[in-house]
Amino acid sequence: MDHINGLSQILGSNLITEREQKIPYMTDASYYQGDLPLAVALPDTPEQVAAVMKYCQDNSVPVVARGGGTALTGSSIPLKEMLVISLAKFDKVLEVHPEDRYAVVEPGVKLDNLNQHLSRYGFFYPPDPASSIAATVGGSISTNAGGLRASMYGTTKNWILGLEVVLPSGNIIHTGGKVLKRTAGYDLTALLVGAEGTLGIITKAIVKIWPLVESKGRILAYYDTIEKVGSSISELKGKGITPLIAEFMDKITMHSLSETRGLTFPEGASYMLIVDIASTRESIDRELKQAEEVLRKFNPISTEITTDQAAMDRIYEARKGAYSSLLSERSSMSERVVIGDIVVPASELPMALKESEEKARKYKLTVALFGHISDGNIHANIYADIADQDHMSRVEGFQHDFAMIAIKHGGSVSAEHGVGLEKKELLIMEFEETGNQYMMEIMKSIRKAFDPKGIMNRGKMFDQ
Amino acid sequence: MISDLLEELDSEVSKCISCGFCESVCPTLPAAGYDLWKGARGRVIMGRELLSSVQNHGSLNVSDSFYSCLDCHACLYVCPAGVNAGKVSHLSKSVIAGNGISGNRNPLAEMMASVTMRYMNPLGIREKCAEWFQGMEVDTGSGDLLYTGNMYQLMAYTHGMNRLREKIGKGMSRRMSSLISRFPWLIKLAPMKRDETASRRMDQSLSNIALLLRKSGISFNYLGKEEPYPGTFIYDLGYLNLFREYAGKVAKILRDSGAKRIITIDPHTYDLLKNVYPEYVEDFGIEVVHYLDLIEGSAFKGGNENITYHEPCHFSLREQAYNRPLETLRSVASVNLPPRSGRRTKCCGGPDELLFPELTHKISQNRYEELQETTPQKIVTACPICFSNLNKGPEVIEIGDYLVSKLKN
Repeated sequence: MDHINGLSQILGSNLITEREQKIPYMTDASYYQGDLPLAVALPDTPEQVAAVMKYCQDNSVPVVARGGGTALTGSSIPLKEMLVISLAKFDKVLEVHPEDRYAVVEPGVKLDNLNQHLSRYGFFYPPDPASSIAATVGGSISTNAGGLRASMYGTTKNWILGLEVVLPSGNIIHTGGKVLKRTAGYDLTALLVGAEGTLGIITKAIVKIWPLVESKGRILAYYDTIEKVGSSISELKGKGITPLIAEFMDKITMHSLSETRGLTFPEGASYMLIVDIASTRESIDRELKQAEEVLRKFNPISTEITTDQAAMDRIYEARKGAYSSLLSERSSMSERVVIGDIVVPASELPMALKESEEKARKYKLTVALFGHISDGNIHANIYADIADQDHMSRVEGFQHDFAMIAIKHGGSVSAEHGVGLEKKELLIMEFEETGNQYMMEIMKSIRKAFDPKGIMNRGKMFDQ
Repeated sequence: MISDLLEELDSEVSKCISCGFCESVCPTLPAAGYDLWKGARGRVIMGRELLSSVQNHGSLNVSDSFYSCLDCHACLYVCPAGVNAGKVSHLSKSVIAGNGISGNRNPLAEMMASVTMRYMNPLGIREKCAEWFQGMEVDTGSGDLLYTGNMYQLMAYTHGMNRLREKIGKGMSRRMSSLISRFPWLIKLAPMKRDETASRRMDQSLSNIALLLRKSGISFNYLGKEEPYPGTFIYDLGYLNLFREYAGKVAKILRDSGAKRIITIDPHTYDLLKNVYPEYVEDFGIEVVHYLDLIEGSAFKGGNENITYHEPCHFSLREQAYNRPLETLRSVASVNLPPRSGRRTKCCGGPDELLFPELTHKISQNRYEELQETTPQKIVTACPICFSNLNKGPEVIEIGDYLVSKLKN
């Protein structure tokens, strides 16, 4: 109660303390259910964030920062009397400088809103997680989100030039700057990207922006085996063609999109490949045909090309919502969808995909596969009956083996969703399997340097 | 009845994976300072809590979460799992109104339901609602019944009611509402002030709608001071048993008038009569149209004036989108749509005006700015609630008024 008084003095009406109002903050997009937070802070200035952080450090109050609440590994849910600090009120695009290729953005701006704003200038911010309609700039920086366009543009880390960050001490630091290159000491900007709120709270970001593509088109290709899907993409990239996006989905996913979005697919199609090509108006048709020819080498059931924007938008939106749509395919009300997220080098995809399917069969689990295939990112969506102990232990076994597939093929246990609560053990496993045990010690030292009392998102990423 | 509602609620909330897509289009969330329980995802989460509380006989103070929902259904069209947070709110309000959980009934909602049941008008002012028609002729023998549902007329009272509530304070307002809900005749003693400017404007719009119908050769009947309010509040606030009874009475009045076809003039009444009445009134069976269905395009002179059209939720965000207003406007002007339009249109905030006026103020201001950015010269609305809330400058015009200005001489 004392803490509520102390925080009220800083935040006034920007503090939520009623039990019912705190309940929605116990959840994010993962299947984890957090604890009821101590309170929810909704600060509206960096100075207010700084005052809250100083109070929390002085009084050892644990905190968790929240962006759009779209995390898939439980990284934004509160544990054990944490104070939730929501950055939702930081919702403005502050500056746009097309000539210098950057924009200054507050962390609570949703990614789609940012891109809608930038489109007025003929520019965009490429990181494009499937949750971009709801995910925020701050949250996506904190998880180093990837997404559909990572195929061509890379992940969030490639697009962050600088950050304003409130440290647990209440000090405000500014990393990086408004320039496209900078070599001045340790790159703390890079360190903070993907830190999952364990080092500080982002209150402003300088993001790199890029001109909108002039023209784009889409190839839809349907296959009967997963190896053919993987081989098609490897061949495409081997030929020097870099897709704007390259997504695949399996039969379960396609069926869920038929149910929830009314999409239709060719008879007999077990896998769908979505390949977008970006080019100039003059060359787009030629380049689409070239890419289609490559995909046709692997005996697809059918292929089609479209440049119709409305049709492209419909499929794009459906793909982005696939994770949620999958719930329509569950066999009982107590089933949830646990989303696995690994990455392997693209050339290893055919084998990694095949092995993933084998593991699902081994554990007798229903697993829907989709992912950002061009950058080797596979999402295994496991139907998990959280009320069934045996079922959950098989889910755990699959998650372990799925992670091992990534490690075996030279990839990682987490491609773009972060570690959060879900992958703490898998992170340790990755370090151990790759002979990098000392990495954990370095990470703990870094965390301690930023957060000596360990109040920042305690219990996430790794145990202190 | 409560068990049916709970089952339906369970079925809706259990489809949700909590991805948060719905929050991005929910107008009340930013207006409420991003307090999650007043956003779409928060309401689905609170729907789960409500279920659990009812089943375990727990206590939960949750009504503001659901009553603040605008029922716009914008959330439904971005949800990858087809969850309708608006439906969750409506079902939850119905559980509350049906005493499924104690301590959550809203006094103002109770008052509106109670007064409507007694006077067939939420403010007990049916006579005043007929004043606009004085001096006009009706065709009592016509099977076409012009049905205003009192919606335009009531708009002249909402701001006044809010000013009164501000003046007497929240506590007193709740006490007064509780008292009136028990003794509805007390509404007649309440110092309800009509905004005369708004009233004149609304009366003008009603007259223009009548003129448009006549110009298209439609001869119609009108019930005047006998015209009942359709019961929108009772339904929206979740008083489903009362609504069933009330809608039956309204349907009888409409049938007894000899109506073969009901000509509605606003989206809320149109949606309620067309989509909800058939579910609640046995053999409702009367054809329901919107007046723009009957307006002949040949009555207008063409034009290419640049206008922005704000699409009402009850036209664009219902299962069957009703696009006749947009088509009609396109025949007389060059219509621009704001970034959020069609299945993504954004509510004006109006449905919250009586219970959460501060939310309405913020939402309508925000929407007005978006519309202004699209075409600053002229903004056309097709709903009296939208007009009333977006009428923040001389450029805002009601569709009936606009169309009359485009009539051939």
